[in-house]
Order: sequence, then C-alpha cells, then structure tokens
Amino acid sequence: MYDHAFAQLSGFHCSAKRSEWSCRGAQALECIWPLKQRFIQGCASARSCFPKSCWAPFHCRMLRNALGKTFRFLGYTVQYGCIAHCAFEYLGGIVVCSGPSMEPTIQNSDVVFSENLSRHFYCIRKGDIVIVKSPNDPKSNICKRVIGLEGDKVCTSNPSDFLKSHSYVPKGHVWLEGDNLRNSTDSRCYGPVPYGLIRGRICLKVCEILLSKNSCINTFLMSGC
Amino acid sequence: RKASTSITSEPVLVAHWLLKKTHSAQSPRNPEQKIIKRVIALEGDIIKTIGYKKKYVKVPHGHIWVEGDHHGHSFDSNAFGPVSLGLLHARATHILWPPQRWQKLQPMLPPERKPLRREQE
Repeated sequence: MYDHAFAQLSGFHCSAKRSEWSCRGAQALECIWPLKQRFIQGCASARSCFPKSCWAPFHCRMLRNALGKTFRFLGYTVQYGCIAHCAFEYLGGIVVCSGPSMEPTIQNSDVVFSENLSRHFYCIRKGDIVIVKSPNDPKSNICKRVIGLEGDKVCTSNPSDFLKSHSYVPKGHVWLEGDNLRNSTDSRCYGPVPYGLIRGRICLKVCEILLSKNSCINTFLMSGC
Repeated sequence: RKASTSITSEPVLVAHWLLKKTHSAQSPRNPEQKIIKRVIALEGDIIKTIGYKKKYVKVPHGHIWVEGDHHGHSFDSNAFGPVSLGLLHARATHILWPPQRWQKLQPMLPPERKPLRREQE
C-alpha cells in the first residue's frame, strides 16, 4: 500500500511489489529509494499516534488561526482609524448644526459638509460660513459667518441700538456674526475671535430628507451657501 | 536662563496630553506662529498684571493667563490678554537641544505671580 501511494506521489508508475518498479531508469530508483524509506517511516509513525494525540495539533492550528485573524483585524482597524482621523482633521467631514443663530441659511438640525483645507492654507474669506471652537468653551463648536477679517472696520453695536459704534478687527482675529442677528450670540458679545480657533469652512449643505406623497425619499445637494 | 519666547531657540519635546504649567499655544496675534509660555492663572482667578491695560484682570471662563519667565521681555498675556483654551496646543515637558541644556521642565509657579483670589474661595 505504501509503495503504491509513494509511487503516485513521485509520479512513477509502479506495480504492487517494490521490486517491480517500472520507472524511467535505475538511477532514478536509487535516488528516490532513501526518500521512500523516510516517507514510509513517517507514515508509520504518524499512523501509530493518529488515534490518540491527533487533536493536539488540530487545536493548536485553530488557536493560531484565530489569533492571526484577530491581530489582522486589529491591524486593519488601527490603519483605517488613522486614515479616518487624518481625513477628519485635515480634509473635512459631515457636521450637524443646531441652533437658530444662522437662520434662514442653516436651520436647526441641518447636515452640512465642512472642509478644513481653507483653514490650513489661510484662505478664509469675508462672507464664509465657518465652524469655530467656542472661545468660552473649548469643547463645543459654533457655526457663524465671517463678517470682518483683521484690519477691517466692523460695527460692534446691536441693530436695535440708536448710536452705532465701530471698531477695527485686531491682527490675527476675525469678526463673526450669525445670520439671524436678533437671536445670535457672536462677536458682538464675546469680541473678535482668534483665527487659530477656526476649525473649518462650510462648503456644502445636505438639505433635510423630504418625504413626498408616494413615500419616496428625495435628497438635495445645494452648494454655495 | 530660559528664554521667554522659545519658538526658534530650542526644540522642546511637546507632550500632547494636558495639563500642567508650561504650554505651547498658537499665538493669538499670528495664527502661523506657536509660542511657549508658562500658565500663571486659570479661569476664574484674579491676577495682577504687569504692563497690561487693566491693573487687575479676572480670567474669563474658557481662558488662561500665560506669561514668559523673563518679564518685561516677553510677548505674553500682558500684551494680548487672556488666551482661549481652544488655542492651546500641547504641554512642553523637556528641553532636547542643545545637549548641555537637557532637562525636564518643572511645573513651577513663581511666588510673586500667584493669583490674588481663586474662584472657590
């Protein structure tokens, strides 16, 4: 039985007995004879231990596979986490705005897309809507429009005041105001905001999901707000 | 003597976890520049200023008061006022170069610069 199996493996045609190998040449037989001996010995030793301890190598292999898969999964998670972090930090991301201070341009619970490249290249212009870290609370963000850059003259009083007061925006700061002037706490309350607090510029607005009469969902993309 | 503005003089190992006494922050006047100063007072403290437009300042909520160690030659809160916490970048922990200046930066508050009254008192 071993002869036949070994012959099949090595590609030689053989008959049942060892002595009747019909291989290509006598030299070939001499070369493979030591290999054949080792193969038979290997088969014999494996066969003797097969019923008892075959489960040990099987379990080890399972554990090794599971560990390998876990580490691979962790590796991918770390890789994609780093890429996502860099993308959100340097490129941009989706932001949900809340509050009435930017109505009618941005309503409560609107979803917008903000990009961070303008901030890094110092391309924020007058009239841009920006997302800024709150000067009074570094953990929260505010969304306002840039009314004045450094050196510009801005009106610092409320629209309801009779006497208007003006001032110049200091170097390295911007003047922010919400579109809904009556209901907005902005630079008129806390003064000019340092440029370094700007996080990103809003460039796209994903309008609210509308449900039409026949229950299909429409989403609109509006740019330039 | 530690220079008060150490933007270009010494590379410093800056740890990105907060929060002790010497911090690097984005300059409020020039957003491209980072400055390294010592934190003297936190929000709610009343501090006596050196050369600021107001003699006594209560640090507003969400801000800190920073000063360089070399008073009089330092561009710090005495020039531009309290700094918003959002501008804080990192904490400076060690001086790396030149090798003869290798040291750990100790969080130390000069006794004459202690705030006058804290919020909780």
